[in-house]
Amino acid sequence: MKKLTPLAQDYVDRFPAELSQLPGHQNPATAQLRTDGLTAFADLDFPNHRIEEWRFTSLNALTKGVANDAAETDGLALVNPEFDTPYSMVFLDGRFDAASSKLDTLPDGVHLTSLAAELDAGNSDLVSTATPKQSLVALNTAFMEDGFVLKVAAGVTLDQPLRIRFLSTTATDRPAWHMRNIIEIADGAKVTLLEEHVCEAASAYFANPQTSISLQAGAVLSHFKYQNESIAAFHLALTECDIADDATYENFSLSTGAKLSRNELTTKIIGSGAKSILNGAYLMRGKQHCDTTTLTLHTVPQNESAQVYKGVLDGEARGIFQGKIHIAKDAQQVAGDQLSKALLLSDRATVACKPELEIYADDVKCSHGATSGELDEDALFYMQSRGIDEKSARKMLIDAFLADVIGEISDDAVKTYFSDIATEWLDRV
Amino acid sequence: MLEIKDLHATVGGKEILKGISLTINAGEIHAVMGPNGAGKSTLSYVLAGREGYEVTSGTVTYKGEDLLALSPDERATRGIFLAFQYPVEIPGVASATFLKTAYNAQRKARGEQEVDAMEFLKLVRIKTKELGIKDDMLKRAVNVGFSGGEKKRNEVLQMSLLEPDLMLLDETDSGLDIDALKIAADGVNRLRSPERAGLIITHYQRLLDYIVPDFVHVLADGRIVKSGDKSLALELEEKGYAEMSAA
Repeated sequence: MKKLTPLAQDYVDRFPAELSQLPGHQNPATAQLRTDGLTAFADLDFPNHRIEEWRFTSLNALTKGVANDAAETDGLALVNPEFDTPYSMVFLDGRFDAASSKLDTLPDGVHLTSLAAELDAGNSDLVSTATPKQSLVALNTAFMEDGFVLKVAAGVTLDQPLRIRFLSTTATDRPAWHMRNIIEIADGAKVTLLEEHVCEAASAYFANPQTSISLQAGAVLSHFKYQNESIAAFHLALTECDIADDATYENFSLSTGAKLSRNELTTKIIGSGAKSILNGAYLMRGKQHCDTTTLTLHTVPQNESAQVYKGVLDGEARGIFQGKIHIAKDAQQVAGDQLSKALLLSDRATVACKPELEIYADDVKCSHGATSGELDEDALFYMQSRGIDEKSARKMLIDAFLADVIGEISDDAVKTYFSDIATEWLDRV
Repeated sequence: MLEIKDLHATVGGKEILKGISLTINAGEIHAVMGPNGAGKSTLSYVLAGREGYEVTSGTVTYKGEDLLALSPDERATRGIFLAFQYPVEIPGVASATFLKTAYNAQRKARGEQEVDAMEFLKLVRIKTKELGIKDDMLKRAVNVGFSGGEKKRNEVLQMSLLEPDLMLLDETDSGLDIDALKIAADGVNRLRSPERAGLIITHYQRLLDYIVPDFVHVLADGRIVKSGDKSLALELEEKGYAEMSAA
């Protein structure tokens, strides 16, 4: 029996006792699902650098032990701007909090519940029973505590964004939460979702959100994710989305938090006329590590995908971008574009970019680009020579760098919100 | 207004300015001419405060202050404007935004009230009209995709907007055809006043037909080898730099 990392061993040891407390424990099917998950996890352990997709991101700081060092904060927590919407669901430390949520005005056809409630009600078939191949998914399956289940009926358009906030409160006795989220959007339905992972203080915890999305024909999901976890926290997320005929999945991920974060996005295009748009911006400083790993699978002909990721790295921050586009042999007349740009603001900031195109069809249009660089010294001098002080000049240039990718956000309110967050981050540069 | 005393400067370890002395009073336009490599642009960059240009000895006093102790933006807000020979492109930053930010930065530094977007647009439109610049240029990113002539006119636009006390024009005429040259010269001439001074760096005498200087200096191998009035420029045109430097 191979030796597990300390944290993995801890999970294995804790499982039997926790199994009887977790949501849906009375349901044998759910209990079996969890047990199978743990077995798979115990077999795999946490991902390590020997796995190709984890080459650049080491989880040693997480797996060596549950208790993390006291957070080294610069005391400058980002105070987030306001965002107004009538539909809001709040999770505190990974658990649904009805009191701070506002879900009473959701229109007919929009069904939004907490996963814990669904599991307790005996609905275990929400979660796939296929053996998880990724260990974090397996771990999540074993320990999933709560999350959101969003089902939107055919033809329904949600008029305003739905805001789902995962808020981590100050030091809890639970150092980790495993959230499992399910989204099913039926034919022709349209939803804008603002998913946030934010923290009130600099406590150390491990957030493991796993989200499965299924978009039926003609469905449109504009999924905006804002990650601003505590800078002592670990945020390892996976979002998987199946996109059917003429459906569109638009995702924009803005990341500013966590000590170590990984935002993994896998979109599987299974219909023609379908679109997968994955954009994002990550703003990192100090010793933060931010990993964005995307995989877009084109399995059938006539569809398109696009990705633009921009990173701004200060201090000793480390950014990773791994973007893979896979085009199957029969997926003809497919277009796939990918662009990754990073701006390094200091000598010790680093970025690693790994674009991958795996193309088996022969009638496709694909492009990929990866650049990284520093602020243009000539532009800085030019601006200063007109009376603009250095700090303001730097901010203007970084702002210009981010402007076009933030400009891609299809929802105006979210665009303003994310733009304001970026401006706030820039004020600390 | 500007007093340069025995200025020595190096770039990349090589000494380019080898003892320049020059005094420019308010109301005066000085032209500096010279062959390539003489140090003309170096002089303008040192005055503007560009990094990589190291002053090894000598002093520069501007309005009684030690200019070399000030940062580039401090020099700008005290009224120095350098019209670049190669204006820099700034993708993603709209011209209007850039101009307004610079304008307000200068007003703020002088303790004046900043203007809002509407007010600013009114102001800038007067200037763009004077210079024959189309409105839509303001929406484009600074200098991106501009032709050489458009870039130079943009420099003159900025200058007429910021109304500096000391104008440093670094080969403003390069890349301009006669019509564009006339417009740029007009813009500069409109700014001439008893309170304002200018240092025009140029290779060719032609610009000086339009912006008539009070003094002309010949810069060769890092030193001013000859000074005179505007007729010196005509002499240079006839005889060339080699003969001048030898004299």
